[in-house]
Amino acid sequence: MSQKVAKKTRVIWFVLPALLCMTFVHVIPIIWGAYISFLDLDIYTLAQWTKAPFIGLQNYVQIFTSKFAVGQKYLRSIYTVIIYGLITIPVGYVIGMLVALLLNRKFVGRTLVRGLILLPYITPDSVAYNVWRFIFQARIGLVNKYLLRWGIIKEPVIWLVGERALYPVIISSIWKGWPFACLILLAGLQSIPLELYEAAKIDGASKMQQFWRITFPMLQPVTKTLLVLNAIWNFHAFNQFYILLGSDPGKAHVPSTFIMQEAFKNLHYGRGSAMAVILMLIIMVLTVFSLLVKRGGSHES
Amino acid sequence: MGKKMRIGLLGIVLLVALLTSMTAMGKAKTITFWAMPNADDEIHIPWVEAKAAEFQKKTGVKVNFEVVGWDVAWTKISTAIATGEGADVFQVGTTWNPQLAATGGLEQINIKEFGGEKAFMKANLESTTYKGKYYGIPWFAETRALFYNVDMFKEAGVQPPKTHDELVEVAEKIVKTFGEGSAISLAGTNAWDLLHNWSIILWANGGSLLTKDNKMAMFNNEAGIAAMKWYVDLVAKGFASKACAEYNQPQADAAFINGNVAMCYMGPFNISSIEFQNPTLNYSVVEPPAGPKGKASFSGGSNLAILKASKNKKEAKEWVKFLQEKDTMVEYTKDLTHMLPAQVEVFNDSYYNSGVWKTFKTTLEYSTAYPPLATWGDIENIVQQEFKNVLAEYVNGTYNQNTAKKHLNAAADRVNEALKKEK
Repeated sequence: MSQKVAKKTRVIWFVLPALLCMTFVHVIPIIWGAYISFLDLDIYTLAQWTKAPFIGLQNYVQIFTSKFAVGQKYLRSIYTVIIYGLITIPVGYVIGMLVALLLNRKFVGRTLVRGLILLPYITPDSVAYNVWRFIFQARIGLVNKYLLRWGIIKEPVIWLVGERALYPVIISSIWKGWPFACLILLAGLQSIPLELYEAAKIDGASKMQQFWRITFPMLQPVTKTLLVLNAIWNFHAFNQFYILLGSDPGKAHVPSTFIMQEAFKNLHYGRGSAMAVILMLIIMVLTVFSLLVKRGGSHES
Repeated sequence: MGKKMRIGLLGIVLLVALLTSMTAMGKAKTITFWAMPNADDEIHIPWVEAKAAEFQKKTGVKVNFEVVGWDVAWTKISTAIATGEGADVFQVGTTWNPQLAATGGLEQINIKEFGGEKAFMKANLESTTYKGKYYGIPWFAETRALFYNVDMFKEAGVQPPKTHDELVEVAEKIVKTFGEGSAISLAGTNAWDLLHNWSIILWANGGSLLTKDNKMAMFNNEAGIAAMKWYVDLVAKGFASKACAEYNQPQADAAFINGNVAMCYMGPFNISSIEFQNPTLNYSVVEPPAGPKGKASFSGGSNLAILKASKNKKEAKEWVKFLQEKDTMVEYTKDLTHMLPAQVEVFNDSYYNSGVWKTFKTTLEYSTAYPPLATWGDIENIVQQEFKNVLAEYVNGTYNQNTAKKHLNAAADRVNEALKKEK
């Protein structure tokens, strides 16, 4: 009995450092951040921010009222990030799946090719998106150069400003994101027992039938996890927008870039915190959903 | 087991305590000084450190110097204000000074201690004020003038323009000789200087950003619309490359510095980039061309501010005075930063009466500073955003006669809203 207690206390000693770190690095800042969202904390109250007046839900009212410019922009940024996700995630998934199917067989240099396809994924964001920024620049960019050469456009198109600004971000994000999907799907493919395919062959199933009846259903748990993970990452997309479009992406603002601008550049910390809390709630709902999905997945198998 | 671990922990705690107390004992008074990369790190840091050593010999105060990039400086300074620690004395951009003063985190300055009001260039001194009180000490100044490529001008057979109309005539000839987009380089939607560049045109058109009492927006009147149209026309008429819409300031500057474009509004600090990137460029500088209502330029630069929560305010003030001594200032502006001194006395040095510096000096004398408001950051953002929308409409091909007016009115409404929050 006493040994058990001793064991338990020892466990606490081992866990304590991590627990303390988590408390100070994650839990307390999150609670502070949420608390700030109820304060009128802006430029006038910054030096004595602990004494900033408590204003209840006013910050939240502002960001959800399209009457205010800030509310309009915040709602639009959420809309933008959803559109962005609805395109990049499925396209990335399909490309990843196609390449994974291609690579899931034996050929000379397979390991090398598998390593190579990971290149976009392992390139640091700052490097990759800066290169993409150059590619999309109007005067010197490769995109315009080729479109002009092929006669698709008559004069250079400006990509990084205005209505079209979301396209470059989507294209470069797909380029950056599909290898991860491919990697995960490839791992999933390798866990499918070969006997299933052999049985299918004997029954005379075509390649297509094999894919839709065996491969795709067997990949479902992987697919679910992948899509939910991507959806979560999607909501706090920041680097690609910030690097490609600058600190003020205009109509292509997403929540993270907008929060950064409102809180840290314009010093409206209260309002910025309220936006961050909403963003966190969205991501939390998605996370809980993902946990449920995962559990569901394991029950099925 | 538990006992051993506790003893071990106690040991660690004691060791840490010992180490911190030792370092604390080892140093005399130390102040931390933040400055932006006003010159190349390779010459800037050794220079400031040498000055700091000199200062330490004189006063016994050690100066801990840190270079803070412009992109992170705003966040670092606002964090220092919120937490009350980080730096004792730091550089602030002139347009930042009133906003940071409004936070209550900057030490109020008795300007007499630093030589009195007359000692500084007027616009720079004004930039240190908030509600009529001083919260900083002008350090160095900059203003914008028109740089032009002498060789390109010669080949096109034109003289440097003195007015907006002349600039258009010159630009037409240059475009005829060198092709579309070769006349002038402008920074577009990614420019942090967008407002500065437009304000120069606005003021020359007799316009003003806000009313005299700083209560209402005024930039959407006739002068403002004329200035906006003139600016966009530079692109629309093909004087500036259409790609300018997505340029940031360094890209716009680079187009001129590389010798591809004949004119560009730039500041004195660009001279060092020319010397560094294209020393053979045959360029000269003239005052910004006058508009229908006369000459105007933007007054910028940097001030030095002291953190109110600092425990070493006296030492920080001494350091500021030390940095502002005439010879130090001449050295810092002439040899390192290629900025202009903000001190009248330093400006009398013969160096600033020669060559391009004379042009900058003359321009600085009539240049304008932005209104010293707490909400200036918001206002600047709003105007820039709507300005970007104008450019975006141009890019999207929906720009027409009413675009400038529409967006300036939208900006004015939002600015008036923001001004209501000014306390």
